[in-house]
Amino acid sequence: MFETVRNQPGLLFVIATLLPLGSFALLLAWGALRWGLRPYAKNGSLVDNVYQCLGGPVPGPGPAYVATAAIGLAFLCSFIGFGVFLSEVGEMHRLEHHLHELHLEHAKPHGHKAEPEAKKDEKEDAKQAKLVKKEPERNLQGEYNILRHHWLGSTTWAQVVSTKTKDAERGSILTVGFKIDMLAAVMFVMVTFIATLIHLFSIGYMSDELKKTVEDHEVHTPHGHYERRGRFGRFFMFLSLFCFSMLNLLLADNLFQIFVSWELVGICSFLLVGFYFERTSASNAANKAFITNRVGDAGFIIGLMILWTYCGTFNFEELFAQIRCPKADADGEIVLEEKIKANDKIQIRKTNLSNKIVRCDPGENTEYGWRQTNLAKDGKAVLLFPRDQSGHFHGPHQTEYLFDHPGAKQYGHMPYWLLVVAGLGIFLGCVGKSAQFPLQVWLPDAMEGPTPVSALIHAATMVAAGVYLVGRSYPLFTPEVLLTISYVGAITLFVAATIAVVMTDIKKVLAYSTVSQLGYMMLGLGIGGWTAGLLHLLTHAFFKALLFLGSGSVIYGCHHQQDMRKMGGLFPKMKITALAMLMGVLAISGIPLFSGWYSKDEILAGAFGFAMVNKQHFLLFLLPLATAGITTFYMFRMWFMTFMGKPRDEHVYEHAHESPWQMTVPLILLAILSVTVAWPKPDEHGWPLFDAQQSWLAHQLHHYSQPKTIEVEDVEDAHGHPIPLDVDFVKENQAALAHHAGVGYLALGVVAIGLIFALALYLYGWLDPAEAKEQFPGVHRFLLHKWYFDELYSAAIVRPGMVIAHWCRNFDTYAIDGFVNLLGRWNLNASYWSGKFDRGIIDGFVNVLADASYAVGNGLRNVQTGYLRSYVLFLALSAVALTVLLYAWVAALGG
Amino acid sequence: MSDEVHLYPYLVLGALLFTCGVVCMATKRNAIGILIGVELVLNGANINFVAFSKYNAVFQVEGMIFALFVIVLAAGEAAVALAIVLNFYNNHATVDVDGADELKG
Repeated sequence: MFETVRNQPGLLFVIATLLPLGSFALLLAWGALRWGLRPYAKNGSLVDNVYQCLGGPVPGPGPAYVATAAIGLAFLCSFIGFGVFLSEVGEMHRLEHHLHELHLEHAKPHGHKAEPEAKKDEKEDAKQAKLVKKEPERNLQGEYNILRHHWLGSTTWAQVVSTKTKDAERGSILTVGFKIDMLAAVMFVMVTFIATLIHLFSIGYMSDELKKTVEDHEVHTPHGHYERRGRFGRFFMFLSLFCFSMLNLLLADNLFQIFVSWELVGICSFLLVGFYFERTSASNAANKAFITNRVGDAGFIIGLMILWTYCGTFNFEELFAQIRCPKADADGEIVLEEKIKANDKIQIRKTNLSNKIVRCDPGENTEYGWRQTNLAKDGKAVLLFPRDQSGHFHGPHQTEYLFDHPGAKQYGHMPYWLLVVAGLGIFLGCVGKSAQFPLQVWLPDAMEGPTPVSALIHAATMVAAGVYLVGRSYPLFTPEVLLTISYVGAITLFVAATIAVVMTDIKKVLAYSTVSQLGYMMLGLGIGGWTAGLLHLLTHAFFKALLFLGSGSVIYGCHHQQDMRKMGGLFPKMKITALAMLMGVLAISGIPLFSGWYSKDEILAGAFGFAMVNKQHFLLFLLPLATAGITTFYMFRMWFMTFMGKPRDEHVYEHAHESPWQMTVPLILLAILSVTVAWPKPDEHGWPLFDAQQSWLAHQLHHYSQPKTIEVEDVEDAHGHPIPLDVDFVKENQAALAHHAGVGYLALGVVAIGLIFALALYLYGWLDPAEAKEQFPGVHRFLLHKWYFDELYSAAIVRPGMVIAHWCRNFDTYAIDGFVNLLGRWNLNASYWSGKFDRGIIDGFVNVLADASYAVGNGLRNVQTGYLRSYVLFLALSAVALTVLLYAWVAALGG
Repeated sequence: MSDEVHLYPYLVLGALLFTCGVVCMATKRNAIGILIGVELVLNGANINFVAFSKYNAVFQVEGMIFALFVIVLAAGEAAVALAIVLNFYNNHATVDVDGADELKG
């Protein structure tokens, strides 16, 4: 086993994924055994002994240790795997580039078929020799393949062979596999780390559940409060399953595996949000979360169906290879030639299509058996390239009619609008999971779950899944889809931030802040800042986990008081929690040196670059900029209201206390990471801490984990290193790089304004919040009602849904049931008559027959006299009679 | 005038015996009497067989064999019937066949 892992270190991540699954299975079996034995456990019996061995009625914290150990080990595996990956990724990347260059050199002589082999250019020979000399006796391709094999692997799960797919003998293949790149590796470390801390935190936080009976103060029954069995083990079992689902989602190398994990994550969130399911609010919240997510998943499934139909695979690499144009050889460059009018002259503009989505107008099949396909900028179809020809394209020399050669059969095409629909569908799934506008309503309600669950769902895992998927399937998205993503993100981040300003429940503030930050991530991805969006996902995971666990610590310390209006002045009572949360607040506000600064600045710069190039979308920059100030305001408002000022509720204040070490240690660790996680690495020029563009994590993501689209490398940074740009957003990215610093100052200014307002309103009391509320009652009410989204959905969807359901019920009761009843009554009547017929006619006939035979028999009885003499007489007489008859017959015949 | 006796007197004798037998069977209430009637019937038939054997070449052998057969049969029948009669007597202390009406329908 050790040897296997050494040969394929990617398996470390697979082990990390399976560990929580093992823990889940173990806890499930344990719980099931206890449940099964409980009724038979009589005092002193054998069963009772076994039951007591398994923990008896109060099993203690064992399940927590199992789950925590599993996720801790998973973290260890991921961390080691991450280390190994870091050591290999640079070499892998270098080899890939080198191989591409070699490929270009090799391909040249073979390109022109007319040119004889012998006429090789001597110069090229020398060039090749030089290249080969540089790496003598090394099988570069082989080395590269070995390195790739370390981090990729899959097993075929199902194979559908259909003659309709492009390559009939392969068919369509469903696989289970893993693909580790920088994004997955970093996410693994982040998720397992945060999950470990949350497990640890939960041991303290959920300790109430260890008791044999727990009284739920929020559920009222006729006999007082509701009492139930403690659910400590169940909680950790769900956590384990949740962790497994999330890790499997990160691990997957194909969309289908992601979809399966996606649904598992959904059901786990349902179970965890509804953990206190006896409370109506909790069970409603769980339902809301689940149903809202179903809406998104419907879109996801549509996307999957479209891709499966046209591409016959869910594997990311294969999908991207088909949809994105491969890197071209020197001879087979795919170039789009457009005739454009400039200054009354017709010019030809050439666009290199490397790694882009190629649109075309598919022509008719010609008589030669191949198809003539014209490339066109606004073509109706998307070219699908052969899926196994990754990396390089050996096309024909001429590009105007790309497929004027017999190999064209390998190429396919799909309608462009269907690709857009597929992209939108997958994004809809992400909208649901990441709580984006217009499906953001479920997330704040999901606060009904225990606080560690809120942290796990809102920081590290479930909501991250949507952003992660957008990042993963990035090359599938067309410009239209990306623009949709940007706008959805921009609207979400603004709406959620404004709502967070008026919330008074500490967890609700954090929930809306999460929605807002997810909006930032989506916006970052949509405007071509792949790295920016995902970097923010990572930094946000740390500081939001910190903030949630901090709020959990506050809530625990205040004996389950969540209303900030009853807090205040808690700083001296819980110093560790307060300081740790302050780190989180500073990070989310984007104060320089804190992790949030690096990621948020990059998103804002990207948005600015995008707005510069596309002036009509300037809103995409204004909204996040304004929201940066709002974010600072509401986060500081929360912190000031909780920890500063005078205690507003003496009772809460007196009983407040600092939490035990299981809860504060995770807070301290997360606080440290919230500050440092995005820091740059010191290099030969010093430690560029104050350069937001130098984040080490961002650098790793950008250079080693880019989707196929980030390719162009003609821009250099201050030290002469090339910076890859997104092929679809070259101009935007360049503008973003150029204006990064300026945008950063602008953002700082806005943050300062937000901070000043927060100080004025909530710390120094220069302004009275109540007065502000009275000044703008309309706005306040509007925000307090969360922009009336719940009311809108209630009026637009829930209420009509109920009405339709009512109709359906009535239809069922009256039409369907009525029809069935009518049929029944008919049947009853028919049976009545049928019975009459049966009894009267059929039975009557049979009875008549029986009666007749009886009568005949009865008559014949008299003949049986029992007197021997009369029998003899009969005999004699009969003989005489027969003789007479015989004679008469003979006489009649004879005449 | 020939002294030869013809077939018909035999047949008439047979018929006479047969009729006597039948009448005996039909009128006697004594079981033994009925048995005698049966013997008469059988012997009437036997006379017919023998007469045909003599006067008809076709039945020369068959007639005699049947006659012998009937004699043997009659012996068997008499043995069985007398056994029945004895048993009947044991059970009913009489040989009046009118008393044997248990099988009456």
